[in-house]
Amino acid sequence: MNRALPVACLADIKSSAIKPNAVAALCALAAALSCQPATAQTAGQWLVALGINEISPQVKSGDLSPPSLPGTRIDVRSARAPILTVVKMLTDNWSVEGFAGLAYKHEIVGAGAIQGVGRLGSVKAISPTVLLQYRFLAPTDGFRPYLGIGPSYAHFFDERGSATLTALSQPGSVATRMKIDDALGLSMQVGANFKLNERWFLDASVIKTLLKTTTTLSTGQKLDAKLDPVSTNFSVGYRF
Amino acid sequence: MTNRRAWVAVALLSSLLAACGGASDGDQSSKVKFTKLVSFGDSLSDVGSYATPALVASTGGGKYTVNGASAKIWVEQLSATLGLGAVCAAQTGLQSSGPLAALAAPTTNVAGCFGYAQGGARVTQLVGPANKAVLAFGDTSGYLGQLTDPVINQLNRHLAASGGSYSGTELVLVLAGGNDVFINLGAVAAGAATPTAAVTAMGVAGAELAGYVKALVLAKGAKYVVVVNLPDVSKTPFAYGTPAATQGLIQTMSSTFNAQLKAGLTGTAAVQVDAFTQSQNQATNPAQYGVTNATATACDLTKATLGSLGCSAATLVAGDVSHYQFADTVHPTPFGYQLLAEYVATQMAIAGWL
Repeated sequence: MNRALPVACLADIKSSAIKPNAVAALCALAAALSCQPATAQTAGQWLVALGINEISPQVKSGDLSPPSLPGTRIDVRSARAPILTVVKMLTDNWSVEGFAGLAYKHEIVGAGAIQGVGRLGSVKAISPTVLLQYRFLAPTDGFRPYLGIGPSYAHFFDERGSATLTALSQPGSVATRMKIDDALGLSMQVGANFKLNERWFLDASVIKTLLKTTTTLSTGQKLDAKLDPVSTNFSVGYRF
Repeated sequence: MTNRRAWVAVALLSSLLAACGGASDGDQSSKVKFTKLVSFGDSLSDVGSYATPALVASTGGGKYTVNGASAKIWVEQLSATLGLGAVCAAQTGLQSSGPLAALAAPTTNVAGCFGYAQGGARVTQLVGPANKAVLAFGDTSGYLGQLTDPVINQLNRHLAASGGSYSGTELVLVLAGGNDVFINLGAVAAGAATPTAAVTAMGVAGAELAGYVKALVLAKGAKYVVVVNLPDVSKTPFAYGTPAATQGLIQTMSSTFNAQLKAGLTGTAAVQVDAFTQSQNQATNPAQYGVTNATATACDLTKATLGSLGCSAATLVAGDVSHYQFADTVHPTPFGYQLLAEYVATQMAIAGWL
């Protein structure tokens, strides 16, 4: 957890600063610094986009270790947050994208043998990601689909238990807490870029991340789960 | 603009702090705000009806488990986790006689206490195991003199003490039937009843319990009612000490009671908890439930002569018994009770109460 902190906090600084005025100021500044005339997605360009991202975990939960009801599992609900994406065009077709959002707050609910018990707790997550992308068609085209692949580092924090989690794990004792391990995953992206004009564009992409983590309860019980989230994002961007 | 900058700075700072936050308890309050816990039944739910000063002083016991300062039975575990505090016995006393006469204490109704469940209590019949009346049949367990006030009386006493109705915010727990098994089985053993008659009697008791819950609990305004069915009594050290045919009879008696109980409560608002199936699963696969021994008793019954009622750290068998299922031949250890409490809590959560 501590190892991941600098990245995490840095990512939040970036995204927290996103206010419409701030973005405008940033773009104006960037435009002022960039003296070359604008063309679309050519080598050396920077693309900055602001949007909304939904992370929808596709959970394949293992069973909670004993003592437990056989088949005690979890599911993790979707969460949305603003996202700031920065792309550097390496060539006219190859690019590197980096992004991080604000923290996503996911609800953790019961599944399997405890299907229906509802909320067991919640966790916040940030997952800074770097993607190597290939953009099809020519820099001048108004529509450019692209593919990307790269690592995601999921940092989980602020895990909160609930009355249900305690009642199901050690009723009558102290509150049960949980800790979710940070994890490194592989992200694969399919996206497309729609040019609005020489500067502004729309961007949409879907990212599948292969991510496995272990949740440990303060009772000592463990649960392995594949989260494998699908992220869907829509952004408005500016190139300079 | 200055305000906006300040806001951004605050947001940034709080986001930084949040990103570095560790695990915490979270909201430990239940969705339904229960005002009190009211419990009816037998020894499995008895929070100390017979914990007379002399019994506690001489044995360190008082509840039907491995007694100790922090030992809780399932009713107390649920009460604590719901923030409802300690559960106290609604009626105390012990009609001991003969060699156990020193343990006796007068019968007293305790105002403000709602743990009605009593060791030995049956659904309807007045005389349960270790009631002083069984001495007349040559059963020396009667020296203990358990009050065994049946569930029907417990329910009526609560109504009398509560103005005839429930407020609707009580958590009501009901678990009974085990003593109807023991008394009816005793009648079969004594040749006073056929096995068929014993099974039939269990069905009647199950139907009666369902009827009482409907008429004296649900119809009186209770909204949050949990009825735990009878665990499989054939999966206890008591039954393991009997011939296979007797074990089969015990199982049939248990399941017949439960079938009638379930039939009577179907369609009502009561949450039914299938402890019968759970007890079978735990017996079949103890390790999954963290149980290290599902067949032997944690209490050394040559020392704890009252059974788990008089069992404490001083009267345990050697070794680590913290995760044994049974304290004596039928009653769980605190860990065994925890498994029951967790399963009840699971069903309460599914009902949307937690």
